[in-house]
Amino acid sequence: MVKIDLSKTDITDANTRIRDYGRAGEDVEIINPDARHNIGVGLVDPINVKVSGSAGYFCGGLSDGAHYEIEHNAGWAVGDNIYSGSVVVGGNAGAIAGVAIRGAEIVVRGNMGSRAGQVMKAGTLCCGGNAAFMAGYMMYGGRIIILGDGAAKVGQDMSAGEIFVGGKIESLGNDTMIVDMDAAERDEIMEFLERYKMNYNGDFTKVINAGKKLRYANQEPRARPQPFFVSSNSSNYWNAKVQEDIWIKGEVGRYRIRGYGASKPVPHLNDIAFIKDVNAQHYKPEELEDINLKTTVGGRYGAKPLSLSMPVMIAPMSFGALSRSVKIALARASRLSGISENTGEGGMLDEQREEADQLIFQCLSGRLGWNVKDMQRADAIEIYISQGAKPGLGGQLMAKKVTPELAAIRGIPVGIDLRSPSRHPDVLGADDLVIKVEEFREATMHKVPLGIKMGAGRVNDDIKIAYKDGFDFVELDGLQGSTGAASTEVLENVGIPTLSAVQEAIDGLKEIDAGDDMDLVMMGGIKDGVDVVKMLALGADCTSVGTSAIIAGGCIACMQCHVGTCPVGIATQDKEHEARYDIDLQSQNIHRYFESLRWQIASITKALGYDDVHKVSRDDLVALTPEAADITGLPLLSEHPAWHQPEMGLEVLDRKAG
Amino acid sequence: MCGIAGVLYKQAGTHEIGKTLIDMLDGCQHRGPDSTGFALYGEDSDQLQLRFIVPTEETARKKATDNIATLLARHDATIKSEQSVGCSYQIAVDFDGDLLAFTKDIEEHAKLVSVGHTLDIIKDDGTAHEVDDIYHVGRVTGTHGIGHVRLATESAVRPEAAHPFWATGFEDIAIVHNGQITNYWKMRRRLARRGYTFHTDNDSELVAVYLADKLKQGETLDNVLETAIADLDGTFSFLVSTPNEIGYAKDNLAAKPMVLFETDDMIAIASEEVSLNRLFPGQSINSTEPAPGTFQTWSRST
Ligand code: SF4
Repeated sequence: MVKIDLSKTDITDANTRIRDYGRAGEDVEIINPDARHNIGVGLVDPINVKVSGSAGYFCGGLSDGAHYEIEHNAGWAVGDNIYSGSVVVGGNAGAIAGVAIRGAEIVVRGNMGSRAGQVMKAGTLCCGGNAAFMAGYMMYGGRIIILGDGAAKVGQDMSAGEIFVGGKIESLGNDTMIVDMDAAERDEIMEFLERYKMNYNGDFTKVINAGKKLRYANQEPRARPQPFFVSSNSSNYWNAKVQEDIWIKGEVGRYRIRGYGASKPVPHLNDIAFIKDVNAQHYKPEELEDINLKTTVGGRYGAKPLSLSMPVMIAPMSFGALSRSVKIALARASRLSGISENTGEGGMLDEQREEADQLIFQCLSGRLGWNVKDMQRADAIEIYISQGAKPGLGGQLMAKKVTPELAAIRGIPVGIDLRSPSRHPDVLGADDLVIKVEEFREATMHKVPLGIKMGAGRVNDDIKIAYKDGFDFVELDGLQGSTGAASTEVLENVGIPTLSAVQEAIDGLKEIDAGDDMDLVMMGGIKDGVDVVKMLALGADCTSVGTSAIIAGGCIACMQCHVGTCPVGIATQDKEHEARYDIDLQSQNIHRYFESLRWQIASITKALGYDDVHKVSRDDLVALTPEAADITGLPLLSEHPAWHQPEMGLEVLDRKAG
Repeated sequence: MCGIAGVLYKQAGTHEIGKTLIDMLDGCQHRGPDSTGFALYGEDSDQLQLRFIVPTEETARKKATDNIATLLARHDATIKSEQSVGCSYQIAVDFDGDLLAFTKDIEEHAKLVSVGHTLDIIKDDGTAHEVDDIYHVGRVTGTHGIGHVRLATESAVRPEAAHPFWATGFEDIAIVHNGQITNYWKMRRRLARRGYTFHTDNDSELVAVYLADKLKQGETLDNVLETAIADLDGTFSFLVSTPNEIGYAKDNLAAKPMVLFETDDMIAIASEEVSLNRLFPGQSINSTEPAPGTFQTWSRST
């Protein structure tokens, strides 16, 4: 066994050495750990790691197959997301021990802190002492064995799995019940305890989900398809959309859920235009090829940045909300156009990984489909905090889409109305996020860019936190961003428009002299290359398109994505519906749409007089409405000096460019 | 957006509280790189110690200190000693009038950050070691103290927005807080109606005033912390210090971390064990994590 002294080695070097020893099959002892964070994170070889002392946050986290023995205490989130392997903690463990595990065995000989086993999917979490508040919070599977007492709300909002409590239970959580356990179960537990040399002869109380809240009582009915251009018409009350909404509420008696984003008029990129004398520009089409559109994202701290052929990415959309076929088509189109694809929530598909040259892997609060191996084969990682369509809410996937295949990759029970948690178990503030960022860097050997996805709310504050917490890039999503399912109250009314978001972000970063090393990727209602150039001129470094890519690939915008029976096989997990989707055809359509963006971006850049799209600036823009001027600080057209000097030959180059 | 730490040595005497808190805060500086602050309880002085934040530029500083001198004269407080260091101006005064009225008037015209006979609050932009380089916190001895590291989201990082906060109007009481009080405005209005003024929108200032107001009514620190958990909504872990005690309170959701370690001689509390372990390098310590919705206090021998 080799020794690594943490009083002399920093954690990144130590983890690199642990991984090297792992590959060589050599066991490791960590001395002088002194409760430092992220010990042994990201190890994927089955060696033994002994921590002689106490460990800090995330010890043994994001690993697969290794065995950790911590002599004394462990901090928050010991064994975070372990796939297989084990962690034994000799003393006490802090909050969220065994968070999001997918099959490991975690044994805490002392007590464990709050929310132990939060969003765990499989495996065993065992505690010799007492478990604090909300043990098994939102767990999706696996078992928790507590030999001592369980504090308040045992099993709060659990979907599946079992919790066995030897001592007293202070109170049960929502939607749980106590059931008898059979002899076989007891034998299995006894075998487990014996294996870990834990003495216990008493009885257990078995707690499981009571199944009353796993599904909505009333399913969302299938509504008459009502395209968004009808439903967002200019009469904003007592229109067909409102009428239908009231009928449906009368039927289901609760808030409504639907797909797509806000469908009401808000100030947007249409309200600003390019101000330029376009007549002065004469150029040949082949000159467009010389315009630089290349964009890199995520190089702030020396990780290998994403290298995009133009300032466009595909927005994060999950396998779950979308069918497997669509994820493959998007991945292929991203490769053909030299841009990046994003997994969204719910895990990485092998076919998607193969098709995409550059793939961003997204980590959400439910840690559904999250694992170290896919992290290590991703080209970038993105921590999702929220999204423009539903800031503050977790993902929603209606039961129809939670098929056995989908449930398996996410590690959840089949056929529940999945409501992902709205908060990360281990990120309850900017201060905890710093340590999470460090854990992810350790798990990916500091080689993979790390981004954060945020819905636009208090952007001015949030962007500063993102900068200070050390992210390489931010994907910032305005109110217009879409989703597979969310309540309409939030879709339509929470968050700020993309135009306000980009301005607040730019202002916020300027206020802390952030410079431009953290890349800003703007999304939410980007429909074409014109919007892309406007966004860059406003100060973004890149953009991201979701809805428009889906429409290019066959979506008819009926806004029924939540139902799970998408007429064109996009927003569905139903094999019959999915069969309607032609991957070859649609990936080409999406690719061609991306190429139209490329042409627009290049020709506008050229028309504005630049050889590089990253040279466009606010000086090229003018606001067409007082609102847009107010939001962006751009001059209002009627007050622009050029407006009063017709001899300048002013033209407003707007959508005509397309 | 921060990390907190506190230490109390149970026996009266001169313990290296400055050095101890620097070590602990350095251990969790990752939680808040922008500013660092200390509330230190040293020797009991006959005079009232005041610390102000003043501009560093010379003419502006002169103007500020002159202004402070005028204010003090207005309240018959005589300056016995004065010292300028970093962004602060520290004075000792003879004063025996109504402290609440006195500080209320002064705070309207100057940035007063510490008031007490034993308490001294030192806070500035930068890390624990950077603040120590300017203010020599490491040389301070005493029995107890609390400290804080902060990640700021406002435009400019300003020393006066750093923690700890003193309880406006009450001497020798300080607080550090990690979390967010969600019924801030409701509680603030309630206290404002009782005559208190607030100088920041920071929820930690509110907690300090809330606690001090209750203490002034003669309640014990234990009682005060118990009612605080019931009255304050949100996610929080905070530490409070008085001339002889320190205590903690933790919200009902346990969303903010806190660990503590007690020996016969001392008690240390921090956001993360890594800070506690700084005091015992190479050893494992038997730390505990307080349960949600709990509080506890410790006092030094007097
Ligand atoms: S066509 Fe499919 S993806 Fe498009 S809006 Fe309708 S259900 Fe959603």
